Amino acid sequence: MKVIIFDSSTIINFTMNGLLDVFRELRRNFQGKFIIPRSVKYETIDRPLNIKQFELGALSIQRLLEEKVIELPEAVQVKDEEIIIRTRELLKRANKVFLARNEFMHIIDEGEASCLALSQILSERGIRNVIAVDERTTRMLGEVPENLRKLFEKKFHTEVKMFKQEMPGLENIKFIRSSELVYVAWKKGLVKMKSSKVLDALLYATKFKGSSISHEEIEEIKHL
Amino acid sequence: MQERDNILRILRETKTAIEKEDVISLKELSNQTLHTASIYRDTDNIGIAVIVYALSKLIERKNYRMYKNWPKFFKRFNLCLDRAIIALEKNQDKYFVSQLKCVRKEIGSLTGNLKKHIQEVFRKAEINKASRVYEHGISMQQTAKLLGISIWDLAEYAGQTGISDVNLSITLPVKNRVKIAMEIFEK
Repeated sequence: MKVIIFDSSTIINFTMNGLLDVFRELRRNFQGKFIIPRSVKYETIDRPLNIKQFELGALSIQRLLEEKVIELPEAVQVKDEEIIIRTRELLKRANKVFLARNEFMHIIDEGEASCLALSQILSERGIRNVIAVDERTTRMLGEVPENLRKLFEKKFHTEVKMFKQEMPGLENIKFIRSSELVYVAWKKGLVKMKSSKVLDALLYATKFKGSSISHEEIEEIKHL
Repeated sequence: MQERDNILRILRETKTAIEKEDVISLKELSNQTLHTASIYRDTDNIGIAVIVYALSKLIERKNYRMYKNWPKFFKRFNLCLDRAIIALEKNQDKYFVSQLKCVRKEIGSLTGNLKKHIQEVFRKAEINKASRVYEHGISMQQTAKLLGISIWDLAEYAGQTGISDVNLSITLPVKNRVKIAMEIFEK
């Protein structure tokens, strides 16, 4: 069993770019499951269903859930209660990693933390998984928290202390973005459009809808 | 409420900038509460950032002044700001917060196109300020929650900025990340 855990930012990116057909193709070519925690369902379906501007997007994602293209954690035998408890622990710790002006900084919220929680639970059960997250803070916290500290210092113009002992064991979590997912789709021939510009267009489309990928990274991917 | 003196200074300078119709100063002032807002999750500081930025837009686009109800609205808007300043000077926190809400109530009392336009200016101001908070390193969901907007709004706006081009954001060589993605899809 393999799992890709989706954060709201990545699913929203595919939806806003009109790439849900590519998303479905990716799922068909994946020998595992695409999972969203319940708090991600709330941000991508339940809440936007009541916002006219995003209602259609929410309905499109709801359809993905009905088709079982994306599924809830119970599909991999993880109970909501387990995720809730682990999410609370993670939030408590992750939001005590950075101290600025004598205040611990609340840097992530429930949706992002629940993806991290689910990844930890699955790894403990020996289930291989990655998190697809476009927003950068969660990824930076997991991969190079020191960069996040430096970013805070640069932006807040104040000393920021990092308490590594509070780091909630995120170092083994693997992260990808919608940009890498569209690359996989393109590489595997899952994108129906045929043009020499397709990969460039896909990568920049993900960037402009919130994937935290730089121009330089995009140019590097194009030359892989 | 965090950094009362700083807020008071910003509101006083905002009043001066309004009188001079100094849009650039207003935009700069609107960012000055964001550090405090981001660190302390202080909604009062965020509220001020949004109001001052929206004001800059309302003053910048002179076409709003064509509306019949504009003079009355703008006068009341200014009155709310004056009262907020007095409340801060007298350490009356609750009254200060009520005057921040008063601005929104004035918008709610408008009718027709002016109401729609001003509501949209405020919505865009919220998204703009959210993008600045996200730029400071706070996560997308946490930022959206602070500003009371949707992640959908923020994702689109943040994508148009240079946030993702900051070198510190690159935490793994891109070819390694592509490898992770390709490997998870291997059969």
